[in-house]
Amino acid sequence: MEKHKDGKLVRREKITALAFVSPLIIGFVVFTLICMIVSFAWSFTNFNPISGRMKFDGLERYVELFTHPTYKKAFLDSIVNTLFLLLSTPLCIVISVLIASLMNSKKFKGKTFFRVVIYLPAVTSVVAVNYIWRYMFEENYGLINAFFHANIPWLTDNTLIKVAMIIKNVWGGIGTQVILFMAGMQNISDEYYEAAELDGAGAAYKFFHITLPLVTPVLFYTIITGLIGGFQLYADVELFAGGQYGSRTIVHFIRNYGVGQNLYGLASAASFLLAAVIMLITALQFKFSKWVQYTD
Amino acid sequence: MEQTIKKTNQVLSAVVLGAMYAVMIVLAFTMIFPYIYMVLTTFKPMQETVQAGMHLFPVHWTAEAYAEVWELVPFGRGILNTMTVEIPVILVGTFTSALGAFAFAKMRLPCSRALLLTLMSSMMVPFAALFLPQYQIWSSLNLTNNLLPLILPGLFGNISMVFFFIQFMGGIPNALLEAAKIDGCGYFKSFVHIMLPLLWPAMAAQGVFWFLGIWNDYFAPSIYLTREDVMTLQPLINRLNATQGGRDFPLVMTGAFLSSIPLIAVYLIFQKYFMSALSITSGIK
Repeated sequence: MEKHKDGKLVRREKITALAFVSPLIIGFVVFTLICMIVSFAWSFTNFNPISGRMKFDGLERYVELFTHPTYKKAFLDSIVNTLFLLLSTPLCIVISVLIASLMNSKKFKGKTFFRVVIYLPAVTSVVAVNYIWRYMFEENYGLINAFFHANIPWLTDNTLIKVAMIIKNVWGGIGTQVILFMAGMQNISDEYYEAAELDGAGAAYKFFHITLPLVTPVLFYTIITGLIGGFQLYADVELFAGGQYGSRTIVHFIRNYGVGQNLYGLASAASFLLAAVIMLITALQFKFSKWVQYTD
Repeated sequence: MEQTIKKTNQVLSAVVLGAMYAVMIVLAFTMIFPYIYMVLTTFKPMQETVQAGMHLFPVHWTAEAYAEVWELVPFGRGILNTMTVEIPVILVGTFTSALGAFAFAKMRLPCSRALLLTLMSSMMVPFAALFLPQYQIWSSLNLTNNLLPLILPGLFGNISMVFFFIQFMGGIPNALLEAAKIDGCGYFKSFVHIMLPLLWPAMAAQGVFWFLGIWNDYFAPSIYLTREDVMTLQPLINRLNATQGGRDFPLVMTGAFLSSIPLIAVYLIFQKYFMSALSITSGIK
């Protein structure tokens, strides 16, 4: 009798719990699962929503991405550009680690001020950051060329535009990372450093043998978020580079051929490849995350 | 001998400290300078911005660009539209996320591990792989140039927020909830009356960054919204650049400046709070 009553209560609890998570499940099914399946299915067709044509074409769209006379160059170049722009991730991390260790030194005063200043770009509107830098990199009237008395075509050269974007993204990205690394470094117990000092260790030894190994969780976090964000770069292409060819990323390709030219099959094929790469990176990083050390 | 070594060490560490400050001051200047330049440019007449050479300060100060921004684009409308997306998404989305997390953390939920992993897999899927079908759905419902495509998905919660809440709730003793159960409280009631008040710091930390993300979102709004009167702030500011051929620098800088002020002001007032929220959110502290 007692047991029966308990079972009923448990069942009721389970049903209530399911009701509580149902919004999450509905959102996932409608906006992620179904859309992913539809997009995947489109990648095997020649779907064009304007003409209404939709024919099963097998792997034709994937083949086109790598061989078609017009799409091939645009697609492969967008991959190269995206990978090139990913350089800002390691640059940002190296600079952030160095700044964070400088700022964490006990003798250093004014931490709060520098932290506030470094984090400013993270709370500045995306459009604003891109516009300010676009103006500063301007070839004829820009401050950067004026400062160096140069005429460097930052915004029109296919390689320099990427260099400019990396500079801008490192400037905009270090804020968050410095704060994360500082938080990570503050968790390291002083005892480690004191013990090393007794053994006569120098600053470099302490940095490479204590600080760096013990901030690997932050390092791991910043690498993953940096790569995932880097693969999805889009706003910069339009706002900073004005769609300049050398700046076009994979997401720009997907948007341009999808919503822009209504070649949904082609764009879906590219988007599926992008999703596969991002999922693979995330999975690999979690698999090889054993080098991450946790202090606790 | 020993004294000289001590003295050299002192000099050395003073030099190191000096170098450290030098590096940091250069860095701080690099971080702030673009803002100073942006603000100074907003007060220049257009001719002064299309001259070669270094001209930091305006020769003739003018606030023309500020008046022009309001004339050229419905700027106030842009803020209103952005807030129309922000408020329901943050309020409802945070609530549904917390409610879902409560079921995962404190209730007997069937297949909870598999379910959580499935939901979390969505974090790996880039928006670029989803937006074509989403765009197709909204346009077939005649809902482009409407804020609903930006609001509706957010109402169903945010999975990274859920994951964070589950971890946070793990630190809240079950005894508190058991006591409420004895009092005859339903699950929903104990969620609202006991869990929500305790969850407040976590919700605030996550909410701040969600707010920031929506405010700065450019990709989705730029796809769905093509009419100025429905545009959120970011694509609207971009119109300033497009309409003037990208050459009216004071105008563009004014748009950039105005669209940044609200966030920067909030940040400067609550900066201490932002810093701790950032560490909490990434799970480092």
